[in-house]
Amino acid sequence: MNTERVTDGLVFVASRFVQVRGGPARIRSAGAFLWHAAALTWVIAGGMSHGDAWGTDSVDSSANSGGPALAFDHRQEDLELRGRDARLQLIVSRSDTSGNVTDATREVTYTVDPDGIVEVSQEGFVTPLADGACTIVAESAEGTRVATSLVVADMTANPPLSFPGQIVPIFTKLSCNGGGCHGKAAGQNGFKLSLLGFEPREDYRHLIDESRGRRISPAIPDRSLLLLKATNASPHGGGQRLQVDSHEYRMLRRWIAQGMPYGNGDEPTVVSIEVFPPHRRLSPSSRQQLSVVATYSDGSREDVTRGAVYESNDPEMAEVNARGLVELQEFVGDVAVMARFQGQVAVFRADIPLTSTSTLAGEASQMEFPEPRNIVDELVFKKLASLRIPASPPCDDATYLRRVTLDIAGRLPTLQEAQAFASDGSPDKRARWVDHLLDSFDHAQYFANKWNAILKNRRQRGELHLSTMAFHDWIQQSIYSNQPYDQFVRDIITASGSVASNPPVAWYQQVNDVNQRVEDAAQLFLGQRIQCARCHHHPYEKWSRSDYAQMAAFFTTVTKKADGDPAEPDYVTRVAAAQLPDPKTGKPLPPAGLDAPPVTPRPGEDPRVQLADWMTDPSNPYFARAIANRYWKHFMGRGLIEPEDDLRVTNPPSNPELLDALADTLVKSGYDLKALIRMITVSKAYALDSQPMERNLGDRRSYSRFYPKRLQAEVLLDAVDQVTGTPTRFAGMPQNVRAVSLPDTEFDSYFLDVFGRPDSTTACECERSQDANLTQSLHLLNSEQMQNKLSDDGGRAAALAADPSRTDQQKVEELFQIALSREPADEEMKAMVSYLSRKEDSRKAYEDLIWSLINSKEFLFNH
Amino acid sequence: MLSIMANPGRRYCDGVSRRGFLKIGGLSFGAGGLTLADLYRAEAGMAAGNPRGSSHKSVINIFLAGGPPHQDMWDIKTEAPSEIRGEFSPIKTNVSGIEICEVFPRLAQMADKAAFIRSVVGCSGGHDAVQCLTGWKPNDLRSIGGRPAIGAAVSKLFGPVDPSVPPNIGLAAPTQHKPWSDSGTHGFLSTAHAAFKPDGPGMKNMTLNGITLERLSDRRALLNEIDTLRRDIDISGAMEGMDAFGQRALDVLTSSKLIDALDLSKEDPKIVERYGDGKPYQYQYDGAPTCNDHLLMARRLIEAGARVVSLSYGRWDSHGKNFDLVRDHGGKLDQCLSALIEDLDQRGMLDDVTIAVWGEFGRTPKINAGAGRDHWTRVSCAYLAGGGMRTGQVIGATNRLGEEPTERPVDMQEVVATLYHNLGIDTATTTIPDPTGRPQYLVDRDPIRELI
Repeated sequence: MNTERVTDGLVFVASRFVQVRGGPARIRSAGAFLWHAAALTWVIAGGMSHGDAWGTDSVDSSANSGGPALAFDHRQEDLELRGRDARLQLIVSRSDTSGNVTDATREVTYTVDPDGIVEVSQEGFVTPLADGACTIVAESAEGTRVATSLVVADMTANPPLSFPGQIVPIFTKLSCNGGGCHGKAAGQNGFKLSLLGFEPREDYRHLIDESRGRRISPAIPDRSLLLLKATNASPHGGGQRLQVDSHEYRMLRRWIAQGMPYGNGDEPTVVSIEVFPPHRRLSPSSRQQLSVVATYSDGSREDVTRGAVYESNDPEMAEVNARGLVELQEFVGDVAVMARFQGQVAVFRADIPLTSTSTLAGEASQMEFPEPRNIVDELVFKKLASLRIPASPPCDDATYLRRVTLDIAGRLPTLQEAQAFASDGSPDKRARWVDHLLDSFDHAQYFANKWNAILKNRRQRGELHLSTMAFHDWIQQSIYSNQPYDQFVRDIITASGSVASNPPVAWYQQVNDVNQRVEDAAQLFLGQRIQCARCHHHPYEKWSRSDYAQMAAFFTTVTKKADGDPAEPDYVTRVAAAQLPDPKTGKPLPPAGLDAPPVTPRPGEDPRVQLADWMTDPSNPYFARAIANRYWKHFMGRGLIEPEDDLRVTNPPSNPELLDALADTLVKSGYDLKALIRMITVSKAYALDSQPMERNLGDRRSYSRFYPKRLQAEVLLDAVDQVTGTPTRFAGMPQNVRAVSLPDTEFDSYFLDVFGRPDSTTACECERSQDANLTQSLHLLNSEQMQNKLSDDGGRAAALAADPSRTDQQKVEELFQIALSREPADEEMKAMVSYLSRKEDSRKAYEDLIWSLINSKEFLFNH
Repeated sequence: MLSIMANPGRRYCDGVSRRGFLKIGGLSFGAGGLTLADLYRAEAGMAAGNPRGSSHKSVINIFLAGGPPHQDMWDIKTEAPSEIRGEFSPIKTNVSGIEICEVFPRLAQMADKAAFIRSVVGCSGGHDAVQCLTGWKPNDLRSIGGRPAIGAAVSKLFGPVDPSVPPNIGLAAPTQHKPWSDSGTHGFLSTAHAAFKPDGPGMKNMTLNGITLERLSDRRALLNEIDTLRRDIDISGAMEGMDAFGQRALDVLTSSKLIDALDLSKEDPKIVERYGDGKPYQYQYDGAPTCNDHLLMARRLIEAGARVVSLSYGRWDSHGKNFDLVRDHGGKLDQCLSALIEDLDQRGMLDDVTIAVWGEFGRTPKINAGAGRDHWTRVSCAYLAGGGMRTGQVIGATNRLGEEPTERPVDMQEVVATLYHNLGIDTATTTIPDPTGRPQYLVDRDPIRELI
């Protein structure tokens, strides 16, 4: 801790809940009570650098003389708690001889000497009682002890509280200003607060000025409606949010007694928060207490562990409570927990290896992974080694063929393809097959289907117009010709003219106001969900309403030509300054990318060109990562970031190195999407078996095996058509049109609806539902549509039954190749042949065989 | 996923943490609004002998398509001049001080079980059911699919009571003016939560199509021999779901509660008679019939496990012959609605089932040249019953001419909020994330405090 902070901080010391202080002056006063490090064998992380705060969580093992050691978080030496509102969350860590660090905060017994200076709860939570210095000793069950010293000061001082600095955070923590309560636009029962407290001036006015004294009673603070409601002493729709005499209650009460000071406006503001530990390796089902410290604009620091709000990015992996205690579930992998305080966010990340207690180096070296084929393998296997999760063996050729054909081309391999692939003995046949698929029009159709939905390209008012067809065709061609991705996005973002001359203009027709355009563009191409910031500061990101307005400003000069045909409008850019008013000040704001300096308009140029320049610049932190993550998810079943289009600081990737590498490769290749797909699909990581090993079944996010995916609606219908030999007709389309190649998602099909085809009304891939449900089962098992396909006179069952030239065995073999791209196992062959021999009606028996193949999980999933 | 919740850490409004269940997702129009978790839960409930029928909270939302004349229903303006007052006289009810229109004698005798809201406001003026079904105007959140109807939201939040009976059912028969047979959109939720309609393909799939039960079990046996892929390899849980739903689908095909619930030949003929048939259908040309059977089916569906049943009753757009229309539709509604309330009461279900009867707007005070009344959005009316509400009261009042509220205007959204409340949903804290990840509250307004 440096002296500068102390000097700066002292000015403001008294009005902070907690002052965490270091430096000479404090050490002198606290020195007498310090534990005597030299005399003890355990250590308070004494070997760590103080300069870089708490970037590391290991304990200096050189001081260990064997056996587990305890340590207080090293920041908690020479602490001073200033003022009665100060609070402090201790973090006690235990380290074993192998360097594994675990949380012991709630497992130790705390004693304080002398009594009466502070109280320490069993949770390691410190509240000051009286001025003075003391030593806190933590002792583990096995008798290991560690101590730290603490000074309490200014307990009797009564400095004015600050409304924005100390009162508003209480409203946030208690959820008073949440969107369901007083934070919603209309307020609640006449009392309105700004959402999450981003507008303290307004909140103050609503609380004090607008209520004619009803809510606040300075003469008898306890009778203030604010407190009576919050404690539910007066019936409160939101129930009891606050305990009488709790910390928050006492602060609110004192603030009222002080005459509700707003603050003089120059109080320090929170400039950052830090969470400790920032990163840990933890065992499944273990716990970790967090501590959160805010740093103010004057350099002072405050423990806000109980003032912060927490959220886990995957509640199935970890839950977190209001006191900052993280409880892991039984899964291995990684998880992030976000802490938020006064608009600032910080993240705790946990790696959860299969066994965190055994020797790290020893076991990792015993694990064997295939020789990496490319950077994907290197980084996937590196992560698995670090988590000590074994990889499943490679899948066989038949599985690979089916998998990669479905993933790249959205179809099953044909019988001929399956046979040819099986008999091809060359070592590079997989890579050659990938290239073949990438060059095929099937690939363009399948990926156009994906893009078409999130670009919202669909018919309007019931009729399929030229514009929808033209844009769909343009997307298909772009993918087919492997147009560089940056160019693809640029063509959409900067589209002008008519759909006939320039099909991407259809995006402007479909997405038809400034807000939708900026929100879709940010979510689709940058993985940023900025729509929150249209109306209020983004709760989990740094984006403010001004940031939103500046991004939106790029789109403000786009306009529809007045004299155009309404069905085929012409979009042009007006000659005008692209700008939008600042939502707070009303002053015009120039366009700017997110976290980027405002652009200077170039005379005569469409501002959207500058937006495209910024987006597609290799240094843009979002653009390449967003598409890399989106495509990674398509093939690997799970994004490195989930949801795939929500790249928040507070939602970190499960394998950051890998995401960086994918993005980097993409940029260096000139945004070559086919090269990206090739890199992923020829990797050994992609070609792992989906069958788990004994020790990787619990892995859900580190790619230790291939994660199966249900075939999406269109692909499944095409596959059913292929296996039954009965193409589905779509109204107004020529025969033999695949469902994946339809120009929009509005074609009438109960099958496609039931299996989760999206409506194409949002820019989110999540609109496509891959969930299982009873309706799907009923439809596959029993619908008229399926029965008609099975029993069609021109269908496969009829043809097989009528073919006398081959044996039942040969026909069953063919069916397995067509449906599952593999040969039947002996038992399967026996079951099928015996079924055929038992049934008199051979055609019906073949219908039943095909029915059972289609209803098998192996058929319904890409595995 | 983003969520700005009033109560951080509480993710499900029923208080059940679903962490232990793999998320398998929402259901579908067919039988099921269910996730695998719901399936297990529902089956566990049944195994524990949890009796259905009156055990779950539910809503019957009866839409009087076209806009019923508020001044000829529950609020006869006796002091208005004759060109406004119309042909009807008020009659006393079994609650002293409450009088309603003379065409509802049976309902008058059970006014203690109902609340008459005479001051509904906030009507957008469109000839559609959207506000009655969702609480929101049709354009709200349109860019992401719109607001989900009550039934869709409940399907999403609670799933089904019985795995083979959809939680959200729409009985409205198809009408020429399509918005009058709307059973509620799934809005920004997955289509899986849309109302199940007994005339759709989902229904046909619940009875065997072209094969015998014997052949189905042969097929199933064959499938079991080749369907050997381990279901636990799928991290999304969809594989496990397919297996579970596949088994359930076979159960449905051998005996369907849903099919039975819709089959009135399985009902006591005396009860069928008590509801009446609503025939002959009149004034119907582009709207719904006065199909009394739908109310009885609604009760049977709720007994079978439905949570929300929406239906459209009659065509109330009385630009001409307003009084003849009300005499016809009103008399029939009096019969079946009173039968429904009596029936639910006798079965001990009335406190668990909320009935709402209302339309998209009110009608003009001034009677036009064709003895009709035209559209009037400044005030409308609603009839609520059951649901454990404080019934036997009138809420709100209009001025002497029935033009606008003079007391306690009740926004349409407050009525919907009350329905949510009666379903056991805390509208102040419950959110559903929309496709952008933003948590959306179900409604912005609070339930009607006089009723709860």
